[in-house]
Amino acid sequence: MLKFIIVRFLSSIPTLLLLIIVSFVLMHLAPGGPFTSEKELPPEVLANINAKYGLDKSWPEQLWNYITSIIFHFDFGPSFKYKDISVNDIIAQGFPITMTYGLWSFFVATTVGIALGITAAVKHNTWIDYFAVGVSIGAQVLPNFIMAPILIIIFTLWLDLLPGGGWNNGAWQNIILPVIALSTSFMASIARLTRGSMLEVLNSNFIRTAKAKGLPARTIIFRHAIKPALLPIMSYLGPAFVGMISGSVVIDIYFSTGGMGQFFVEAALSRDYSLLMGVTILFGVLTIIFSAVVDILYAWLDPKIKL
Amino acid sequence: MFFMNRKKLADVADRLLDQQNIKGRSLWQDAYVRFRKNKAAVTSVVILTIMVLVSFIAPFFAPWDYETIDWNLIGDARAAGQPNIENGHYFGTDNLGRDIFARTLQGTQISLLVGLLGTAVAVVIGLFYGAIAGYFGGRLDNVMMRFVDILMSIPTMFIIIIAMVVFGRSIFLLFLAIGLFAWMDMARIVRGQTLAIKNKEYVEAARSAGVGNIRIITRHIIPNLLGIVVIYTSLLIPGLILTESFISFLGLGIQEPLTSWGALINEGAGQIQYGTPWQLGFPIGFFVVGLYCFLFIGDGLRDALDPK
Repeated sequence: MLKFIIVRFLSSIPTLLLLIIVSFVLMHLAPGGPFTSEKELPPEVLANINAKYGLDKSWPEQLWNYITSIIFHFDFGPSFKYKDISVNDIIAQGFPITMTYGLWSFFVATTVGIALGITAAVKHNTWIDYFAVGVSIGAQVLPNFIMAPILIIIFTLWLDLLPGGGWNNGAWQNIILPVIALSTSFMASIARLTRGSMLEVLNSNFIRTAKAKGLPARTIIFRHAIKPALLPIMSYLGPAFVGMISGSVVIDIYFSTGGMGQFFVEAALSRDYSLLMGVTILFGVLTIIFSAVVDILYAWLDPKIKL
Repeated sequence: MFFMNRKKLADVADRLLDQQNIKGRSLWQDAYVRFRKNKAAVTSVVILTIMVLVSFIAPFFAPWDYETIDWNLIGDARAAGQPNIENGHYFGTDNLGRDIFARTLQGTQISLLVGLLGTAVAVVIGLFYGAIAGYFGGRLDNVMMRFVDILMSIPTMFIIIIAMVVFGRSIFLLFLAIGLFAWMDMARIVRGQTLAIKNKEYVEAARSAGVGNIRIITRHIIPNLLGIVVIYTSLLIPGLILTESFISFLGLGIQEPLTSWGALINEGAGQIQYGTPWQLGFPIGFFVVGLYCFLFIGDGLRDALDPK
């Protein structure tokens, strides 16, 4: 088991390096340097600025410096646009916010989705089932950027119940709408997957045996059916996490929550390459760690995989 | 007795003649019949066809185009910009006085084009990549599929956005970038199928007849993968439309004056507190209906081509 964990984490290193190299190369393919776009600078000044940010060195050297400073100092370098703050400062400011509503969304999507899916499967072909199927089909075409304005129209403009934006130090009123907007489509996918795999498990032989033994329905569902039914859901959690990370950008922009996504879009619009890279790599590290954890959990839970 | 037999024989002969006229049914014809029975999928095809025709033909007849500003209505979108048949703004105007009807059609064109062209890029790459990895197997297969794993665990949305920022936001780059990061699922599926197909007798026969590897892949492997490729292609299109809408919603995709569903929804969503719901409602309506159609068609194709 320990060996598997170590190997799994080691195998995510090439992924991380590829991510860093791809974003680094993309950034350096940009026509002109980060400081050439504005008004014409005297060449000496430009050379000084480039030297200050280490841009006068060769590509491999810059790449090496960048990677080592991330790994050994967790330092993503200075922002090219905001003169007095570094990428680290921006991350320190936005990351806790993104994480707060991100984890809430993840929690809501998995718990509500799994509960809905299991209920639908257990009450197969009743109105609860039809309701769950209807919700999950409907939510497939309601991604976060559609949910966000619709929620604001309903809860802020019509009912005037919840604030339409802002963070307010994470007050619950400010968290509700972002969490609903971000989690709905993933909740629907998880519900659909859970319903399908639960139905399959409920029709299998060992459940029939359990029924024949006269076990109560509650025991059958919670002791016997849930674990094999939820295993396939585990492998969807990785992509769901990636989707939520990307979706957080929409949430930050639309609800002005002040998370990392807001800085990412600002950086993209103002061509602040170092900030763009910093945010991308941080999100990349998160998803890579998460998928490694999911894989390990899967291997631990699945009786068919022996370690 | 003899007479009866002769009549029977003539009967049999007639039937034999008839039978020669019966044509065999191919797998695709079977699939077509099954698809026709799926009402949701057939309705979706009809709606989608109408949507495509309207979005590409109606702009020639519409009284306004997608970038002209109606100076009479500018500045007072809430009262003056309402949907109105008489002044030619069927869906109303936006806050800048541009016609929402024309812009929605234009956005529909772009979104459908992104879906189709991006998918074309992804399908071609995924098909050949997966077929080559599966056919040659061994170490090559290991390396190639490991690369797919790596790509799949990267949040590619951010890479697409960086590419758009770095290379400038041209519409063809958008198609290409979205397609370039969407082929991994297809490659995995194709590889799996190829592994199953490559040991079939007809591939063996081709090999023993001295057919080259490339030709075996293009003539014998890929045609037999088409069923599953069609299914996943139809599911890829709505996915890519979603991706494009996402990027355009952030204002990082399609550029003015061109527009797409995502960009229109973004503009409408930014104006909701000023009381112009038509600016949000019509694009969302097109988006939702369009995506539903693709999803239902995908489901229908899966049931038709892959009956269990």
